[in-house]
Amino acid sequence: MSILAYNGGAMVAMKGENCVAIAADRRFGIQAQTVATNFEKVFEMGPHLFVGLPGLATDTQTVMEKLRFRKNLYELKENRRISPKVFAAMISNMLYEKRFGPFFVEPVVAGLAPDTFEPYICNMDLIGCLNEPSDFVVGGTASAQLYGMCESLWEPNLAPDDLFETISQALINAFDRDAISGWGATVYIVEKDKVTIRNLKTRMD
Amino acid sequence: MMQTGIRPYYPDYSTVPVERQINPYADNGGSVVAIAGKDFVVIGADTRLSSGFSIYTRNQNKLFPLSETTVLGCSGCWCDTLTLTRILKSRMQMYHQEHNKNMSTTAAAQMLSTMLYYKRFFPYYISNILVGLDNEGKGCVYSYDPVGHCEKATYRAGGSAGALLQPLLDNQIGQKNLQKPSQEDLTQEKALSTLKDVFISAAERDIYTGDSVLIKIITKDGTKEETFDLRRD
Amino acid sequence: MSSERYSFSLTTFSPSGKLVQIEYALAAVAAGAPSVGIKASNGVVIATENKHKSILYDEHSVHKVEMITKHIGMVYSGMGPDYRLLVKQARKMAQQYYLVYKEPIPTVQLVQRVATVMQEYTQSGGVRPFGVSLLICGWDNNRPYLFQCDPSGAYFAWKATAMGKNYVNGKTFLEKRYSEELELDDAVHTAILTLKESFEGQMTADNIEVGICDPQGFRRFDPSTVKDFLANIP
Repeated sequence: MSILAYNGGAMVAMKGENCVAIAADRRFGIQAQTVATNFEKVFEMGPHLFVGLPGLATDTQTVMEKLRFRKNLYELKENRRISPKVFAAMISNMLYEKRFGPFFVEPVVAGLAPDTFEPYICNMDLIGCLNEPSDFVVGGTASAQLYGMCESLWEPNLAPDDLFETISQALINAFDRDAISGWGATVYIVEKDKVTIRNLKTRMD
Repeated sequence: MMQTGIRPYYPDYSTVPVERQINPYADNGGSVVAIAGKDFVVIGADTRLSSGFSIYTRNQNKLFPLSETTVLGCSGCWCDTLTLTRILKSRMQMYHQEHNKNMSTTAAAQMLSTMLYYKRFFPYYISNILVGLDNEGKGCVYSYDPVGHCEKATYRAGGSAGALLQPLLDNQIGQKNLQKPSQEDLTQEKALSTLKDVFISAAERDIYTGDSVLIKIITKDGTKEETFDLRRD
Repeated sequence: MSSERYSFSLTTFSPSGKLVQIEYALAAVAAGAPSVGIKASNGVVIATENKHKSILYDEHSVHKVEMITKHIGMVYSGMGPDYRLLVKQARKMAQQYYLVYKEPIPTVQLVQRVATVMQEYTQSGGVRPFGVSLLICGWDNNRPYLFQCDPSGAYFAWKATAMGKNYVNGKTFLEKRYSEELELDDAVHTAILTLKESFEGQMTADNIEVGICDPQGFRRFDPSTVKDFLANIP
């Protein structure tokens, strides 16, 4: 079994009209055994910037710490907020530094640009190959299921409330068909002047 | 050339036993989706037959009528599909001749399971979905794993895009995770449009699914057939 | 390595608390060819003298005004070889920044990093400070930037400034001529006039160099463009 599927987890991010959403499940398990159901995989990196790190749980946390370190240093050095695009480039660069002994995470970035509030989403593989589509990105062990859900539920220019409904349905129905993700979900809706965080109740089996 | 003792080693003339392997299976891709309603059942399969990155044909029927009211959809190893369906056809005929009646959908479903398990240690590498009307005229769907485990359901997605489509059917047909599930029965139109929608989604992300979909709609009045196009890249 | 064994810094405090090595470096700059920089509302210009001692020199083959990235340019007063090393380093740092962040380096960042290099040469063992002051011009965030970097590692943001030989006169001239709503073409004109203040001999398109930076990026004028500007000068 792949190391990326050792702990399980599902992750999805979507673009909407002047907003973005990122959502993840809350399970932390060791292979088939569920250990905790309050495990966070999405991290706030700024007022309009979120990063999700599905994959090996230890690397989720290590990479998050390393990213926060680099991001803080950048913001101090340059005396300005990091933009999601630059942050993504930074992650990509950091992951490729470990090309032959990688961190087992497949990061997802979602946010709004600090000056224009332009929505931005992207994901990458464990060695930092960037993908910046215009609709949605998925990650984790339920990625096949998520692709199927998103491909038919997502539509352009969703308002924040509709985006919330779409991303929640996509995530929940996808991870219900994956044995090693689920057990609750967290959804972040990022708008210009507000970030809404909701913990969803889902089936726990 | 390797030196063993004083004699030179010539691989072509070696008498040492060498282990060689062949792979008897191929994965020819394809997806099958089936949805049952109160008095009908629809089954659709894409028509792409492929191997790795090459497409053998864009127009391969993967739905096999077993009787007036029963259809089998197959995806996976195409040569196994051919063999299995050939044997199935003759078993259906033998049943007809011995019992002087057509085999019921439920009986065909059970027989398929037995036939698959018969090859438990050299299985047919097929993802099977069998649909039909039962004795009361209700639509039913049976899905199988390659060694004959059989599950009755009202909807199912199988094959290369099975993982992409099943959660979608859970949501749209099974009404899973909805705040207020609709109480009405599933209509044929809704089943058909959902089936088309999910194939469009699958063709978007699964390279083994595409070209077109062949759909069979089974009702007490017989079987209707229809096709519609998918992306061909 | 032998350099490790003798790695004392050559730049040390004098009893009065001065770093005389740096003062010598500044003296080298003040003796160097003059250069000026002016910020305009829609761009920024840098210019310098590039006089040749003999008519046998092949002009327009070695430049003093150099591009660092598409949107940043640089010029110097002082010692040419020292400048070349800094140009090389600056270009490298700009590309390293792009590699990590996939975004062109902000002028402020480049200046800060070049200044760090210059500072390191005032404290490291076995090296001497650079004998140059730099003028770095750039365009980002929809506005022009103009910086001066000194051998000590100190850097300043200017609206307009002059360095090198006769820089005091140059600055006085600029103080009289500068205005906030200057257009780039006028700024180029003023820059050339400033150079002319202390220019010995006939100023031609072959013995000065001009570079500008605007939203389109940085470019060095070719001699024919410089000639056009010189035509408007009395």
